[in-house]
Amino acid sequence: MSRAVPAGVVAAVRRSVSQVCDPEYPEVTIAELGILEGVSSSDCGSTVRIELVPTMLGCPALDVIARDVTDAARRACAGADVSIEVTFVDDPVWTPDRIAPSAVGFLAREYSVAVRSRSAAASCPICGNDALEHRSDFGPTPCRSVEWCPSCRNPIEVVGRVDLPAAMGAAPASPAAMGAAQASPALA
Amino acid sequence: MTDSVPEVMEGAREMVLALADDELCIGQNLAWWIAVGPFLEEDLALTSISQDELGHARALYGLLGDDVDALAYGRQAHEYRSAHLTELPCRDWGETLVRHFLYDTAETVRWAALADSSWEALGAVARRALAEERSHLRHASGLLSRLLRTEAGRSQLLPLFDQFTPLACELFELPPGCSHEALLADGVMDRSLSDQRAEWQSAVDDAVASAGYQPQWPADGATTASASGRAGQRSAHFAALHAEMVEVLSLDPTARW
Repeated sequence: MSRAVPAGVVAAVRRSVSQVCDPEYPEVTIAELGILEGVSSSDCGSTVRIELVPTMLGCPALDVIARDVTDAARRACAGADVSIEVTFVDDPVWTPDRIAPSAVGFLAREYSVAVRSRSAAASCPICGNDALEHRSDFGPTPCRSVEWCPSCRNPIEVVGRVDLPAAMGAAPASPAAMGAAQASPALA
Repeated sequence: MTDSVPEVMEGAREMVLALADDELCIGQNLAWWIAVGPFLEEDLALTSISQDELGHARALYGLLGDDVDALAYGRQAHEYRSAHLTELPCRDWGETLVRHFLYDTAETVRWAALADSSWEALGAVARRALAEERSHLRHASGLLSRLLRTEAGRSQLLPLFDQFTPLACELFELPPGCSHEALLADGVMDRSLSDQRAEWQSAVDDAVASAGYQPQWPADGATTASASGRAGQRSAHFAALHAEMVEVLSLDPTARW
C-alpha cells in the first residue's frame, strides 16, 4: 500500500513552494527568508512533507504562509496521486542568519528594514551607518525590533530581537542572569 | 518518553494543558493593552509579548491534539487548568508590570526545566520558547528596576508583590492526577517543582532587594487556597476573559481570519 512519491514530483513541489512569498514582504520568498526548511517524500505512504520554520511561535502570519505553501504544493503536483503535509517544526530555531544575503539587500533597499544577524551587525538601510542605537525589542511585528540611527536621525526597523540569536546556545544559568544583564533602554 | 508508561504520559499531558492555559490567559489579558499603554513602545511591547505567549499556548496545545482552537476555546470552564494569577485582568499598568515580571521569571525557570525533556516534542517547544523569553524578561526587569529607584515606583509596585506572590506560587503546582515523582523519574522535567520555585523566588528576591524589600513567601505546599485553578476551579475573572476570547467564534464558528 505504500507507494513512493516520484522524485520529479518532489522536485516540482520544492520549486513551487520555494517561490511562495512572505505575506509581510510580498517580493521576498520564504526560501530567501529561511522559513522553508525542507521538502521531502514521507517515509510512509505517498505524501510530500514540507517543513517550515516559524520566525516566532506567535507570528500571526503562520496560517497564511501554511495556506499559501499548501496551495503552491497542490498546484505543483496536480494530477499526481500524492497528499501534502505542511508542518512547522520547532527544531531548528529560526534566526535572522537564515535570511539570504540577496534578501537582506532587498529589504534594506525596498523596505528600509535592516537585518541583525550573528555574522553582521545591523547597519542603517538609509545612510549606511553601522552604529544603530537600540530602542525597543518590540516593533511592528514580533520578529522586528526598533533602533535609532543617530546619523540620519531615523527610527529603523530591524529584523530580529537584539539577543534572539544569542539565546540559541546554552540556556542561561538563571532568570536573574537573563533579565538583569541589561536594562531595557526603552525609557532612555 | 517511554510510551510504555501511559500514566506518566497522561500526567505529562495534564501538566502541558495547565501550562498552555496559563499562556492563553496571560496572552489574552496582555492583548488588552493595545493602544492604551502608558507610552507607544509599551503598547507594542505588551502586545508583542501577548502574541508570543499565545504562540506558546498554540505550540503546547499542538502537543495535545490537532484541533488547537477546540482545545483553547472549546472546553467548559472547569476543564481549564490555568493558575489564577494569569486570569487577573490587571487593568492598572503597575499591576500588569508586576504580574508580567513574576510570570515571565517563572516561565524562564519552567521552560529551562523542560528543555531537555524526555518528551522530545515538549523539549523542542521549551527550547524554542526559552529563546523568546529573554526579551520578555529584559523588558519586565528593565522597567521594574528603573521604577523601583523612585519613591512613587516603590510605593505603588512593592505592595503588589505581596498581593500577587501567593497567587504566583500556583505556577509551580500541578493539576490533580499528575504524579510529580513520575514526571521527574521519567525525565519529563529535570528538576523538582520545589527546586524550580526556589530558583524563581530567589530571582524575585534579588530584583526587589535593591529597593530594600523582601516579599512574604507562603511556605512551600501552603498555597492550597490558590491551587484551585489547577484543580479546575475558575477565578471570578475567568468568565469575562473567556467570553472575550470566544466572541468571534460564538458569532460565527466558521469564521476565518
